Formats: sequence, structure tokens, C-alpha cells
Amino acid sequence: MIDRDNTRQIVAGAAILGLFLALPLFGFGDYWIYILTIGFYYAIMASSWSLLVGYVGRISFAHMAMSGIGAYTSVVASGSFGLPLILSIPLAGLVTGIFGLAVGRLCLRLHGAYLGLTTIAFSEIVRITITAEHEVTRGSLGLAAVGLFETTDRVPYYYSFLALLVSSLLIMWLVLRSRIGLFFAAIREDEDAAASLGVKVVRWKIFAFTFSSIIAGIAGSFYAHFVQLVTPSMMSLQEMGFVLSMAVVGGFQNIFYAALGGVFLEILLEVLREIGEWRMTLFAVVVILILRYAPNGLFGELMRMALARRTRK
Amino acid sequence: MSLVAFSEQVINGLIIGIFYALTALGLSIIFGVLKIVNFAHGELYMLGGYVYYVFASILGLPPIAAVLVVCAVLFLIGMAIEHLLIDPVHRGKVERADEYTIMITFGLAILLQNLMLSIFGPWTKRPEAIFRGRIEIGELIVSGDRLAAAGAGLVLIGFILYLLRYTWTGKAMRAVSQDRETAEIVGVNAKLTGMLAFGLGSALAGAAGALIGPVFLVYPTMGVIPVIKAYVIVVLGGLGSVPGAILGAMILAQVENLATVLIPDTTRALAYKDAYGLVLLVLVLVFRPQGLFGEKVRKS
Repeated sequence: MIDRDNTRQIVAGAAILGLFLALPLFGFGDYWIYILTIGFYYAIMASSWSLLVGYVGRISFAHMAMSGIGAYTSVVASGSFGLPLILSIPLAGLVTGIFGLAVGRLCLRLHGAYLGLTTIAFSEIVRITITAEHEVTRGSLGLAAVGLFETTDRVPYYYSFLALLVSSLLIMWLVLRSRIGLFFAAIREDEDAAASLGVKVVRWKIFAFTFSSIIAGIAGSFYAHFVQLVTPSMMSLQEMGFVLSMAVVGGFQNIFYAALGGVFLEILLEVLREIGEWRMTLFAVVVILILRYAPNGLFGELMRMALARRTRK
Repeated sequence: MSLVAFSEQVINGLIIGIFYALTALGLSIIFGVLKIVNFAHGELYMLGGYVYYVFASILGLPPIAAVLVVCAVLFLIGMAIEHLLIDPVHRGKVERADEYTIMITFGLAILLQNLMLSIFGPWTKRPEAIFRGRIEIGELIVSGDRLAAAGAGLVLIGFILYLLRYTWTGKAMRAVSQDRETAEIVGVNAKLTGMLAFGLGSALAGAAGALIGPVFLVYPTMGVIPVIKAYVIVVLGGLGSVPGAILGAMILAQVENLATVLIPDTTRALAYKDAYGLVLLVLVLVFRPQGLFGEKVRKS
């Protein structure tokens, strides 16, 4: 039974991937290609955030700060030091990895609300520092960035973001289905019990922070070279709230549902443009309702219903 | 620095400290009784500013009466939030309670911010102050609206301390914050006490927002920075410790005020002003999570 469920999930995933691959071929407008590309960025952020929260049980409000660190690293390295993007983007991953390692190491003893507070503080310190050091970063004006490609055509960006999304989901999935995924679950359920059974709790908690930070940093640098501007506002707590909403609405206990939530909410944000600021109000109500009554998220519940119906037959 | 300039800074620091203490005290009471950090606290503060604006400036109520209305409205809103969103945790209806309470209060913060943005727009509002004009003490000049607001804040803090120390409800709150189950065994209604605590904390946040609104203006994101400071304060003083929250507020306000004066490069000093407290927060959380006065927290 479990195997058949798995097959169905893989088929559903392949169908969605095929749909996204084919979309630009159907003469989809430039505008929607742009929106979907941004949606893929948020999908990477939401899924790598849900890796921490949903699988390891560690909340972090510093995820957008990590993305910002990656973006600024790559933009400064390529702009001020003339590094080619093929080097500056991995450098961004490396730098955010180091930050993730440091934050993970510092926060080892913390959990729950204490961890939330520390990561909020870290995130704000990064944002304030980048805003204040205006000789390097031009403060809140932001820095111009070179594009990933020479052309202004949106389609190459679309496919490279899709490729980044698919590969990061694939890497996360491979890690989660290995022994490491079991270690994560053990830490989430009971850290002390996990340690007593020989799980290297310290190592895997730090690994989780570093791993999700690297993904966020690389996504952030891609984003910067797509919109060709980085500003400190990309690491504001409002942005963090947006990513949290995406992960929760999609289903933060599963990286794929969280990623779908990212694309879904970004599309919804555009479709509902007419109602203006009421959009975020509406999303927040949905987030609260989902957290309270359907913690598996929209896609988690849909999949559960689909599977349940099949089982009944 | 001359003595007058120095005293002016100290008095300003004291006034700001009282505002900080009001916000932090509410956060601390909520944490003490319910063992949750309310990530929407800054938005309740902001809501207080808007409710005050509606009653004092649009409906034309006398300012003091409007502050009391704010307290009452925020008290009811706080009780409703606790009943609808937080209480299910204690009834075991929620899996993974830790992450749930953090995310649900954070979601509530997003909701309130965008709701006010939708209704009132992003522009700042300046509601009526309790008292306008200046007060001169010798050579010292203090603006009257700040002093009056700080005075009202001081009265409120005194009232809360009295409530917690001498009334039955206050004793019940302290009992639940020490041990929820034992408090229930000796006849305390923990559910009602939790609701009262959240209501009281919200009312305090709202009062702070209402009193500060005329000074620092009312806008949808006005709560973001003050609440982060409130986190710094309660962590500094120890989460759940009431005297710790008041002392922490005074320490933070003085540190910020004097640090900006003492650092030579003014633009950069101002830009980093909000970061000092945050660095302090990280240091305290990492090296002394129980805070300066809090009890050591046992891991759940």
C-alpha cells in the first residue's frame, strides 16, 4: 500500500514538473513567466525553511537573512571585485554556509521560543548592519547586480530557477530519505532520547542549519542576479512572514508541499492584485486557520484525501 | 557633556524606559502564566495606538478616557485570542505545541499589521496627546506630552504591581505561572487565569501604544521595533520575571540613550542604535538563557 501511495506521489510530482516545463512553450506571457520565476525562488525558500521546522523541529526567523547574505555576497563579489558569476554564486553558498554553521552552533542549546527570539535578533542585526554600512552596500538604496544572462528574455531565467528548485528539492529529498532524515525525526521527537540512542544530536542540528542556509544563500544570489537589485528589505521580517505563510499554507511538514505553497501563494498574490493590501490580510487568516485546523497544509490535506479515497475503494 | 545635557538624556531615558517597561511587562505576564512568547505583542501595541486614534481623534473622547477605552478593548481582544488560539494547546488539541504557538502568534502579527494597513493605509497618524506644551524644571526642558504619557504609564505599572501582589486574581496568576497543575488542584481556574493574563498583557501593550502614539505617531509597522526591544528586555530580566522586566527596560533605555551620545560618528551611531540591544539579546540567550533574574528553565 505504502509503495503504491509513493508511486502516486511521484506521478503527481512528475505531472506538475512536466506542466511547469511546458508552460513557456504555450506562449505564456512574459509577465506570468516573471511571476512564476519569482514563485520558484519563494518555493526554494519555503521548502528549505520547512526542512528546519517540519523535519528537525527547529524554528528559524533568520532564513531570509541567509538569503540576503547570499545575495549581497554574490553581488559585491561580482560587482566590486569583478568575480564571474560562476564563482560568486558558489562563494555566496559558502559564506551563508559559514553563517548557518555559526548560528547553528550558537543556538545549539536553544529551542522553541528562545530559538525564535535569537534568530529574529540575528536577522535584524544582519539587516541593520547592511543598511548602516552604506559605503559598501549603499544602504537602503540597494546595489545594482549584473544579470545571470546577457539577454532580457525571461525564459532562460525561468528554466534556470526551475532547475535550481528541482535540484534543491532533489538534494533535500535524498538527504531526508537517508539515515540523516531519521536522525532529524529523532531529534524533533525527543532530543534526549535520540542522544541516548547514539544519534549525534549536536552534529546533525548544526548540519541542518548549515544545509538549509546554503540553499537559502544560493537561492538569494540567483534572485539578486534575476531582479538585478538587492536591497535590505529582502530580509525584512515581513518577507519572512510571507515565506512562513507559504510553507504553512502548502504544508510545512513536507518540503514538496511547502514548495508548492510558495508557487501557489505567489500566483495568488498576482491574481488577487485588485484587492490590494487585503491580500496579505486574507493570507494571514488562512495561515491561522490552517495552523489551527489543518496542520498538514492545503496540499497535505488534498493528498491525504486523495489517498484516503483510494484506500476506501 | 554638560550636566544639563546629561540630565536631559537621563530623563529622556527614564521616560522611554517607562514606555518600554509597559510593553515588556505585558509580554512577561503572558510568558509567565502561559509559557509562550507572544510574537504578536508589537501588533497589539500598534492596535492600541489605532484604537486610541479612533476614540481620541475621530470620536473626540477626552484623552484619558480614550486610554481607558483602549485598555478595555485590548483586554477583550487579548482574552478572545487566548480562548481561540492559545487555549487549544493546553487542552492537548494541537500537535507540536512549541512551533504552533510561535507560528500562530507570528501569523496573528501579519494579520493585524495588514488589516490596519488595509483599513487606515500606510500613512502616519498623530492622535491627540494627553497634554501639550513644555515643562521647565530649572534649566531642564521636557516636552509635556512625553512627561504626561510617562506619568500615566507609571500609574498603570503601579496598578499592575498592586494587582499581581495583593489581589486574588494576581495571586492566581502567580500560582499558575509557578505550577499550572498544582494551581488547578488547589482550586485555581487555570483556563480563566490564562485568559485574564493574556487580556492583561494585551491591555498593557495597547496602553503603551496609546500613550506613545501622540509622541512617535501611529502607523501599521510601529510595533516592530518596540516589540523587539521588549524581547530584549524580558530576556535580559529573565522571561516571566516582573521586576526583571522593569529593571531591564530601564537598563536598555539608558544604554541606548547614552550610547548614541557617546559615539562620535553620529549617523552611524544612530543607524546602529537598534542593534545594540539585539546583540545583548543574542549574548544573553546564548550564555545565560535564564536572564539576569529569571529562574533556570527546565527543559520540557
